[in-house]
Amino acid sequence: MVAGVGGRVAHNGAASGGFSRRAVLAAGLALPVAGCGAPDDRIVLRWWSPQAAPAQARAYRAQIKTFEAANPRYRVLFEPTSDDGYPAQFAAAFAAGQVPNLVSHLPSFAAQTYYAQGLLAPMDPVIAAIGADRFLPDANRPYLAPDGRHAAIGIGSTAVDMLWVRRELMAEAGITAIPRTWDQLRAAARAMQKGAVYGAPLPYGSNSMTSLVFVGFVHRAGGQIFSPDLDLVLDSPATYAALDFYRSMREFCPPGATSFGWADSLNAFVSGATATGIYGGRVLINIARQNPRIAQHLACVPYPTIDAQVPHWTFNDFPSLFMPKQAPHQEATRALAASLYDPEGYVRQLLAAPGHVLPVIKGITDREDYRGNTITTTFAPEIAAMTAAASAGHNLGYESPAHRPNVKAGEIIASNALAELVQRVVLAGENPRAAVARASRAIEAIMRR
Amino acid sequence: MSAAAAIPRAGISDRLLGPLLIAPVVVVLGAVIAYPLFAALALSLFAVDTLTLDAQWVGLGNFGELLGSDGRFWTALVVTLVWTAATLALQLVLGIAMALLLNRDIWMRSLARSLVLFPYFISTVVAVLVWRWLFNDFFGLINLALIGGGVIDAPVDWLGSMPNAFVSLVVVGAWKFFPFVVIAVLARLQSIPESLYEAARLDGAGVWARFRDVTLPQIGEVLGIVVLLRAIWDFKEFDLIFLLTGGGPIDATRTLPLIVYQEAFGLNRMGMAAAYAVSMMIVMLGFFAAYRAAVRGRA
Repeated sequence: MVAGVGGRVAHNGAASGGFSRRAVLAAGLALPVAGCGAPDDRIVLRWWSPQAAPAQARAYRAQIKTFEAANPRYRVLFEPTSDDGYPAQFAAAFAAGQVPNLVSHLPSFAAQTYYAQGLLAPMDPVIAAIGADRFLPDANRPYLAPDGRHAAIGIGSTAVDMLWVRRELMAEAGITAIPRTWDQLRAAARAMQKGAVYGAPLPYGSNSMTSLVFVGFVHRAGGQIFSPDLDLVLDSPATYAALDFYRSMREFCPPGATSFGWADSLNAFVSGATATGIYGGRVLINIARQNPRIAQHLACVPYPTIDAQVPHWTFNDFPSLFMPKQAPHQEATRALAASLYDPEGYVRQLLAAPGHVLPVIKGITDREDYRGNTITTTFAPEIAAMTAAASAGHNLGYESPAHRPNVKAGEIIASNALAELVQRVVLAGENPRAAVARASRAIEAIMRR
Repeated sequence: MSAAAAIPRAGISDRLLGPLLIAPVVVVLGAVIAYPLFAALALSLFAVDTLTLDAQWVGLGNFGELLGSDGRFWTALVVTLVWTAATLALQLVLGIAMALLLNRDIWMRSLARSLVLFPYFISTVVAVLVWRWLFNDFFGLINLALIGGGVIDAPVDWLGSMPNAFVSLVVVGAWKFFPFVVIAVLARLQSIPESLYEAARLDGAGVWARFRDVTLPQIGEVLGIVVLLRAIWDFKEFDLIFLLTGGGPIDATRTLPLIVYQEAFGLNRMGMAAAYAVSMMIVMLGFFAAYRAAVRGRA
């Protein structure tokens, strides 16, 4: 007879009406198991994203709930990653064969890199399921692989390095127009820098932000990092002009800018410690929540260029959506991917960080639920400026429409070769030519591999 | 009949019994030490893509590149050795001083002994976050205190410029790990016979003389072990340095473990990362050999 709860006589001869030790042990073991409820035998789909602020995670959960209701056999597990940490996480995941089913919001060049290695499934079936004509023109062009298929699809668009200004500080400093050129920006930063307020939060750290911002400066000086055929053309007058500008701005940046990354630069402007900012639309929600007194004075424009003749160049990381090929349940994952574009959930996802991730689906900006948001209403001109800049935006993996996709862009950024170039010239005062030669060698070595 | 003779042998001869008894140990050691060691050595001889694990035999090519022209390895080795020596020295000074203090009959000694372990117990991530806030140039307490005290006029850049970044790293490293020295030294201090100090006092020895001639020789062996262990751990320290400075500015605080990480997961060169790791192991073997020689010399 098996000992049990309920006063049954047990083999060890415990008195009727009491509990045997074995019975108590069994009950103790049974309770936690019972507390767990029935085992969840649904199939798990894992979704990774570096865009995982609490409001965004809530929006994803709402989309997941809708998908799970329509697909009861599946359970979706959302797991955050990070902008600077994803290369390591994905390298480990791919190497171990423990990949997520779906990945969102990584830059387009990350998707191109993984696709070129044969690690991603083409996303054309998902585009077809969503409807190719529902996307804004050229929205999926940055993900087009050399084989003519899409390594990923756009889940949003961003204008990452806009110039943010505070009009009240400009007025106090006697500046009437938002800077258009580097000279004007320097003059404005000098005029607005007083007391505990610095002119700008440019990053000088050994990290991805410094590299990506510097790529933008080279383009704003009329240059490029690679030719359209992907020959390295870093050693150019534009690069030296960009380095010279970057160096000249150091005196207007906080002392700690030498280790600034994305969060530090954002926080410096949002907290009011700098008069200008360089960031994407997350500035809006953060200022609305953390420093609303300056919200009414905000304005943003594309970052100035070396002179007014050089067109703007905005860094758009083209947040992507892709599926690792190794992951199981591809059909269900494709359905999950397509479901993320259902208008109601998609709008909710975008409004979790209003203005930061901009829509790539037609008609979203005209929807009542998108336009009814306080942030999108209050900052409509700024969001329009970012949308225009993002639509003409590029990144190191897609420097211009004439460029071939650069599948090594991710490794170049991760190598910090460009950030180190900035640090050597600006912080260590090294000869720019020697520093550019050193960076060129490092980048060429990566391109050769 | 003797007890030994009573043990049933089940037909196993004496020659087989010994190897059988040590077999589990050999298997476990082989699995957790020998296999990873040989796997790392083998990996270092290939060019391996981290993402796809595609491997190509390069022989000693990775080591040739590592020791070659760009000087990255040698710079990082010097940084690693200086970091290890500096933070270890500070840990020893702080640890011995604190252990001596906690060995005295001071007020709330039990509480102090518990609290002193706090830095060692908290997660490195949490500790670094706290220190980054302390060093912050807008809101950091260190800059605010120095400005408030009139010591400086403008915030100091503690983590992004040299030599501040290195000094900050050494200080945070010492703060985080000195409790280990305290634990080891305090345990030894408590077992030193009081009669030795009484004899020294009768001989007219002062505080410094008692420390030099009684305490230091008594804790010498413990310190040797502490130095060996902490030198190995500090030499391969990764998370604290990565999170605090990321190896910058430029490569001023980039130690060898940071390069291993960057090679493996930033540049997707697992073979080259293994070559760096094997080189680190060789340097650490040098430490160990020096320690053994020192111990043998003392004996």
